[in-house]
Amino acid sequence: MAKGIFIIVEQRNLQIRKVSLELLSQGRKVADETGETLVAVVLGHGIDVLAQTVTASGADKVILIDNEKLAEYTTGAYTSVLNKLIRKEEPQAVLMGNTAIGKDLAPRLAQRLGVGLASDCTGMEIDAKNFLSFKRPVYAGKAFAYLSSNVRPILATIRPNTFKAEAPDASRQAEIVKETAEIDSADLRAILKEVAIAASKRPDLTEANIIVSGGRGMKGPENYVILEALADVIGAAVGASRAAVDSGWKEHKFQVGQTGKTVAPTLYIACGISGAIQHLAGMGSSKFIVAINKDPEANIFNVADYGIVGDLFDVVPVLTEEFKKLVKE
Amino acid sequence: MNIIVYIKQTFDTEAKIVLDANGKIDANGVNLIINPYDEYAIEEGIRLKEKFGGEVTVVSMGGASVQTAIRTALAMGVDKAVLVSDPALENSDEWTNAEILAKAVSQIPYDIILAGRIAIDDGASQIAVRLAEILNIPSISSVLKLDITGTEATATREIDGGTELIEVSLPVVITAQKGLNDPRYPSVAGIMKAKKKPLQTLTLADLGFGDIALKMNVDKFSLPTPRQAGRKIAGEAAQAAQELARLLREEAKIL
Amino acid sequence: MAAATREVYWNIEGEHWLYLLFIIALVVFAYGVYKRVILWRLGQPENRTKEVGQGVKDLFTYGLFHKRILKDSYPGLMHLGLFVGFIVLAFATAIITLQADAGFQIFHGYLYLFIKLTSNLFGLIAVLAIMAFAYRRYIQRPDRLDNKPDDAITLSLLFIILVTGFLIQGVRIAAIPDPWAAWAFVGQWMAIPLKTMFNQAQLLSLHRFLWWFHLSLAMTFIAYFSHSKLFHILLGLANQFLRKRGPIGIPEPIDFEDESLETFGKSQLREFSWKTLFNTDACIRCGRCQDNCPAYLSGKHLNPKKIIQDMKALMEETGAAVSDAKKVAIATQAADQEATASDESEEWTGRALIGEVIPEEDLWACTTCRSCEQQCPIFVEHVDKTIDMRRNLVLMETRFPSEAQLAFKNMENNGNPWGIGWSTRADYITSLGVKTFDEDPEAEYLYWPGCSGAFDARNQKVSAALVKLLNAAGVHFAILGNEEKCCGDSARKLGNEYLFFSLATENIEVMKGHGVKKIITQCPHCYNLLKNEYPQLGGDFEVIHHTVFLLDLVKSGKLKLNQSAGKSITYHDSCYLGRYNQIYEQPRELLKAVGLEIKEMAHTGEKSFCCGAGGGRMWLEENEGQRINEMRTDEAIAVKTDYVGTACPFCLTMIVDGIAAREVGETLKALDIAEILEKVI
Repeated sequence: MAKGIFIIVEQRNLQIRKVSLELLSQGRKVADETGETLVAVVLGHGIDVLAQTVTASGADKVILIDNEKLAEYTTGAYTSVLNKLIRKEEPQAVLMGNTAIGKDLAPRLAQRLGVGLASDCTGMEIDAKNFLSFKRPVYAGKAFAYLSSNVRPILATIRPNTFKAEAPDASRQAEIVKETAEIDSADLRAILKEVAIAASKRPDLTEANIIVSGGRGMKGPENYVILEALADVIGAAVGASRAAVDSGWKEHKFQVGQTGKTVAPTLYIACGISGAIQHLAGMGSSKFIVAINKDPEANIFNVADYGIVGDLFDVVPVLTEEFKKLVKE
Repeated sequence: MNIIVYIKQTFDTEAKIVLDANGKIDANGVNLIINPYDEYAIEEGIRLKEKFGGEVTVVSMGGASVQTAIRTALAMGVDKAVLVSDPALENSDEWTNAEILAKAVSQIPYDIILAGRIAIDDGASQIAVRLAEILNIPSISSVLKLDITGTEATATREIDGGTELIEVSLPVVITAQKGLNDPRYPSVAGIMKAKKKPLQTLTLADLGFGDIALKMNVDKFSLPTPRQAGRKIAGEAAQAAQELARLLREEAKIL
Repeated sequence: MAAATREVYWNIEGEHWLYLLFIIALVVFAYGVYKRVILWRLGQPENRTKEVGQGVKDLFTYGLFHKRILKDSYPGLMHLGLFVGFIVLAFATAIITLQADAGFQIFHGYLYLFIKLTSNLFGLIAVLAIMAFAYRRYIQRPDRLDNKPDDAITLSLLFIILVTGFLIQGVRIAAIPDPWAAWAFVGQWMAIPLKTMFNQAQLLSLHRFLWWFHLSLAMTFIAYFSHSKLFHILLGLANQFLRKRGPIGIPEPIDFEDESLETFGKSQLREFSWKTLFNTDACIRCGRCQDNCPAYLSGKHLNPKKIIQDMKALMEETGAAVSDAKKVAIATQAADQEATASDESEEWTGRALIGEVIPEEDLWACTTCRSCEQQCPIFVEHVDKTIDMRRNLVLMETRFPSEAQLAFKNMENNGNPWGIGWSTRADYITSLGVKTFDEDPEAEYLYWPGCSGAFDARNQKVSAALVKLLNAAGVHFAILGNEEKCCGDSARKLGNEYLFFSLATENIEVMKGHGVKKIITQCPHCYNLLKNEYPQLGGDFEVIHHTVFLLDLVKSGKLKLNQSAGKSITYHDSCYLGRYNQIYEQPRELLKAVGLEIKEMAHTGEKSFCCGAGGGRMWLEENEGQRINEMRTDEAIAVKTDYVGTACPFCLTMIVDGIAAREVGETLKALDIAEILEKVI
């Protein structure tokens, strides 16, 4: 009998990713309602310190798998370890964030487990028949598909910012279990030589709660400093539209849109972005959209919750000052 | 070198999505294209052939319309094609598709298998990695740069906030991320030649498949509520900015 | 009066030697012609002798009456001076030859005096013209003239021939009495100092010397003729005779159904027709094309004169590599026989036409505005070569600007270069209440808004205005709706003939299916293509540009206009409406009809300065020099009017962008003619 909801917690350099905390919070709610146990699974090396955090976020049980071969994520090692664990523990459902790791790990794991996978989900409901039902965007969010499975375990990846990470409760207690890692040598064929993380204090674009984005109206790479000033005041990430990336003003990793990153922040501030459909596809599911554009006819105003028709070079610096005042309060 | 490229034909990015009488996505009159991420895979496959010699085979699944996508790939420079075509594929899931694909691929010699990292229709991003698992070979997803020397592949893979460098021996499954290369435009000469290149069509029965048992079910589809247009804040820059800050705090409750 | 004459060959002995000199000169001349013919024959056959009657007319209009040459009045008048002098002196020589060699005693009486007077007058003017040429070329040094030794040699040769001719006349008049010397007034003037400088015997010797010197130079002229720029005298006239007539700028179609075709577009010099190669020789390097090319003037490397001259140099290199035996074979092969394709031994190993002779960026910099061709007095065809080479780059090499690839893909997938969903094409226009042909099959006119009119926010306003006007006039029209695809102009002009072929054939089939007969469109590119190029693929429709149609409505009283209070406007002639289709006046008449004061920009009408978006460049980035649209906007700003009027969605977009870039949006507004009319009905 399958039991328990597993949350695969993602960590890098012993920093837990926000999406994992979001899943623990949501998982806690589902566990409470269905009477299931919420289990946090953490892989890595030297990860004992993380048990506290995941407990405070809602786990009933924490499984720590510590091995130096797991210090950095590799497809093979993580698949191998999780496959064995899940076959042993037989949970009802296994959830992880739809991050770079989740996108890579989940399909491989699903195949090895012989199960289906609901990927990049933006909604999850308790289902009377199949325990959980998932909502996920298809066709760049132009439609939604609702998925469920009668095969166990249910495997799903959830889009960051779909759920809210509740305030941690330090008083919570959880059962801490340490498992040994069993890694087949066949799963160690791909060798990770190097990891290069861009050193930036700003949050990752896909995770950020607030994004300040610049488009063709920025007129050049040197002008992004005013957006960065605004972003740093409110702890936002900086993005760019395709027009700006194509003009070489920002690297592709900053591109938000159909052919760039899909983001779902709480607040998206579009500066000098016209709002072509390809851009909307990448940020259309933002909770609130603010548009600043000189052109009153720009399409972005059709989707913006708040719009300012004006020169962004005038508005953004003033807005930065206003935000500074707000943050101080 | 024997190169296999797995491609999918998808709706054009601009297609209007409507549901038909059965609540399914209506494909009537929709323009079909090669999944844009698969184009990077095709281009990379052809470049590998140009460098190392050998053959590129494109594999795909779907109805008769997929032949257009295949012919485009052949026009770009792919040598031959295999199409798995069967009405049963209309109701399939990623598990099943991967199994079918693996059967089709196993009949072809391969040193490397390339695919796009995600399809723009379902956005599920599963098949290629599942395929690697079935074939018991390593997979590297979301690759920005690929170098091959002899039988060793070095791939730069995109991760959140950075990149990884991974080394692996062939054979391997690589999924292509945007930026891997610039897909070539098919020349007219290529288009003409493509008409004569071999395209093998297989049914599920040919591959030894019986009935499909789904692991994941799509229960229904829905369309999003159209977004309402919002407010334009009046006033000069200073005024408007002040008002916006106020609204974000008090109304939207964000800051 | 009948006695008025002079003794031909006076004071000259052994004049029969001149015939020997003449024969030698003729042989050298003929050899020069042969050498050039060999080069032209390197090209493919092309029949240009179809409209002989019109060709003769063109010789008069453009040759004799200098129609295009005089549009640039400063060098034009100079040239006319030399030209008339040349004709008059040639006539005089012909008369003397008839008398001296054929024995017709005609060189006397009124004819003699006439010849004397005109020769002196126009000969003098010719001398002054040559001095003006030299002054312009060597002192003023305009940008559009480059100087080669041939220029100096030719000018000097002509100058000395003319001056010595006068001197001979002067010496004769100084030596012997001439009752009609007054008619040879230049000689008469010269005789005065000559008589004081030399005694009789000296005069006689001087005369003989000058006569033979002058004759030798004249023979040199004949011999040098076909080896120098002097050849333009014949080649230029020939080019005018052989020019393409009918609607300009229609590329040759490619039959993609023809399985035997192995190459598409042209990358080798020899793939071009003999006429293309002939063009390069006829070109006299006047530089009018360069002076009017928006790409060149905005600082791009492209220079139409250079392209022609560089192709000429390559032609000469190609010719030099061909073996002598082959040359004879080429010269003697039948005119319509395919120039023998290069076999293995003839693979061209010299400089590549595309890339080495003409940089690829030059090919992409062209906006196909055809101002170069419009200004060229001898009808050199610059743009067709560019499109042929673009075809090679797109269809064979697939090497072209990456922005073009996106535009191509978008046209392929969604029937418009922006790639906006084809199923939304009709949305805006139908929201104006317009019906599709499916809903209203009896509509008299097809309204073709084009991609811009359907999708582009700024141009949708033009569509709205036009629809309102058409409705007010009671015109019964409908649209194709989502069945309409991009006309294919950008694809064709960028060299993607294959994409054009597929778009055009689909459009034609749809239109025929609905029984479309008449089409109104607001886009000159659509207009030009539907009218002039679709017939190549079987699409024959009556196509009307909206400004012409609106003018008809106004004139017939179906559309009533009020007056626009005291505003001024400058009208920007769209290349594809003006130069391509000679529609210059109709938009201006509409503007006058609403009472606007029209002021013209520096470049107007036939010389209108391109907005920069033609030739598919709307979809490409400008990376060098100034932005063409900003230069044109500067011209509009300089005229200080309230409005800039356009009749083309591309022009409107480019000028709106230019106004934004120059930040003059408060004082200058860009409007389409339809929008202007719509305000005042």
